[in-house]
Amino acid sequence: MLISERFSQTRTRRSALRLLAALGASALVAACGGGTAGSADAFRVALLTPGPISDQAWNGGAYAGLLAIRDSMGAEVSHIQTKTPAEFEENFRQYGAQGYRLVVGHGFEFQDAAMRVAPDFPNTVFVCTSGNATAPNLAGMNFAFEEASFQAGMIAAQLSTSGVIGAIGGTELPPVRASFIAFERGAKLVRPDITVLVAYLGTWDDVAAGKEQALAQIARGADILFQNADAAGLGIFAAAREKNVLTFGANANQNDIAPDHVIGSVVIDLPRALLLVAREVESGAFQSTVYQLGLRAGVVNLVLNPRLESRIPADLRARVDSVGTAIIEGRFHDMDDVLRPADRAGTSP
Amino acid sequence: MITPLDDFLAAAVRTATPLALAALGECITERSGVINIGLEGAIICGAFAATVTAGAVGGSSGVAAGFAAGAVAGVLVTLLFMLFTVYLRADQIITGTAITLFALGLTGLLYKTVYGTTGVGLTIPTTGELPIPGLSQLPVVGRAFFAQPLVTYGLYLVVPLLAWWFARTHAGLALRATGESPDAALAAGVQPRRVQALAVLTGGAFAGVAGATLVLAQSGTFVEGMSAGKGFIAIAIVVLGRWSPIGVAGAALLFGGASALQYLFQSLGWREVPYQLFLALPYVLTLLVLARASARAQAPAALARRELTLG
Repeated sequence: MLISERFSQTRTRRSALRLLAALGASALVAACGGGTAGSADAFRVALLTPGPISDQAWNGGAYAGLLAIRDSMGAEVSHIQTKTPAEFEENFRQYGAQGYRLVVGHGFEFQDAAMRVAPDFPNTVFVCTSGNATAPNLAGMNFAFEEASFQAGMIAAQLSTSGVIGAIGGTELPPVRASFIAFERGAKLVRPDITVLVAYLGTWDDVAAGKEQALAQIARGADILFQNADAAGLGIFAAAREKNVLTFGANANQNDIAPDHVIGSVVIDLPRALLLVAREVESGAFQSTVYQLGLRAGVVNLVLNPRLESRIPADLRARVDSVGTAIIEGRFHDMDDVLRPADRAGTSP
Repeated sequence: MITPLDDFLAAAVRTATPLALAALGECITERSGVINIGLEGAIICGAFAATVTAGAVGGSSGVAAGFAAGAVAGVLVTLLFMLFTVYLRADQIITGTAITLFALGLTGLLYKTVYGTTGVGLTIPTTGELPIPGLSQLPVVGRAFFAQPLVTYGLYLVVPLLAWWFARTHAGLALRATGESPDAALAAGVQPRRVQALAVLTGGAFAGVAGATLVLAQSGTFVEGMSAGKGFIAIAIVVLGRWSPIGVAGAALLFGGASALQYLFQSLGWREVPYQLFLALPYVLTLLVLARASARAQAPAALARRELTLG
């Protein structure tokens, strides 16, 4: 997105550029198998990601989910990495026109485009992860990322020796903001005087920016960092290695990226979530809703790194687990005011 | 004793280093009358080649080999741009844009080919800081300027050298003449095509090294699209630095400083201020300085001109 903005500053011959961009996009679709000529009645599923599936996080997890749908349901699948918001709608339309049964826009940012496109393709189900809008053939999928983020905050606060912890996000998307608020509340539950620094990079790709922001927080005394910045987050791990501080990974299990510096990851089990909706669509049981997927559905989890787990004292561990149990049993209400109204209105599978 | 000021200045120099490298290369290119919008593409190719090479060779010799590979990759992708613009006289803006799009796609494809579709959390050895004894002990500027990776020290040499070369050597004069008036240069016995070709390729090498710096001296990993617009910032820095090496280095440092200020402000925890204001800071500052400077700025007269000579 950033790159395209820069393009618009520098470009002088717009029509020629548009042609170039279109050529590039269609080449990409072809390269990613978007043009596969499958049989008309096969169950076909498409995924749009906002970033590269090599990010070891949000996008990579969704791609793993797409492959799981292919492998366990025998579906024909297609993936495309979108470049700019202008392309979201076009990509949705392409898949709709090709008769895909399920098209997943992976992220809140796809929702507006999906709402515009969905009425034109009534036989295609559109699903937006982190979305909260519904239409007859449009569903949202809300990951209660904040539930496990709250638990991560509890651990971070107690393990911090400086009393300062940090959280770094790509951009301030609603789920990212909610998870950082949860992280902070979890931390303050354990240690009311803790300082939580929050920063956003304005990018999900710029590794150098991720590292610099992490170094800036570490220089302010932060010794545990929570990151939710996808590919740019790899820079935060690099800073953690260099300055020997601990981090929490996000979205996918990132414990192995820096095994001595990632204490745990707030994981969204995207394969599980995408399989769930794909099965409903295939069997005809799909109903327009906002799926609520969190600890209870087993889709969101705090996965601790076995190599560093022993640093967490037993009493803290018990406290974290009891919060988890309370969330699963519906007795936990510390985050109710943060969640968006539509989230609460949705049904739980 | 490390003060917050030390941290801020060090971050400024770190952030400025790859920008200054790419911008100095672009400065050479533009002084010959060619504007290379494909700079971003050369940076990402340099970053990828450095990653693969440093990973394959390993160790500290791997880092050196990585920088060399970065420069070579920058030259190779720019060679394509050079053939189209210098010899076929295609439109420079369109060709450069195509090169950038091509390079971003190509590196993504190669990354997936080499490291698997879903990639790996690559960890590449980095050069690390190499404090210069004595100089790094200086108050205020010591740690910021003299406890940096080797590539930054290279810049300290290249900048004055380039300024001298532009102003005082026959070759430097030939380059500037080509950018100002190819006809006059031709009449004076200079071969404008050859000068432009060499200038463009040199710019590509600089951009490739800038990409290698991102990987080998900073992040220690490769991510698709990690150039993240730095090539375009570098082009703006050339204008800001008014096409002079010293000016370009200063402009890069200014932008690096504004970015570092942004990181510092966010880490101070002022929740009331929207973070977007901080993120906009480097760009707003650049715009302000640019607005003041542009009255006196003079681009090479033949910049981006398609027809090389009138005769």
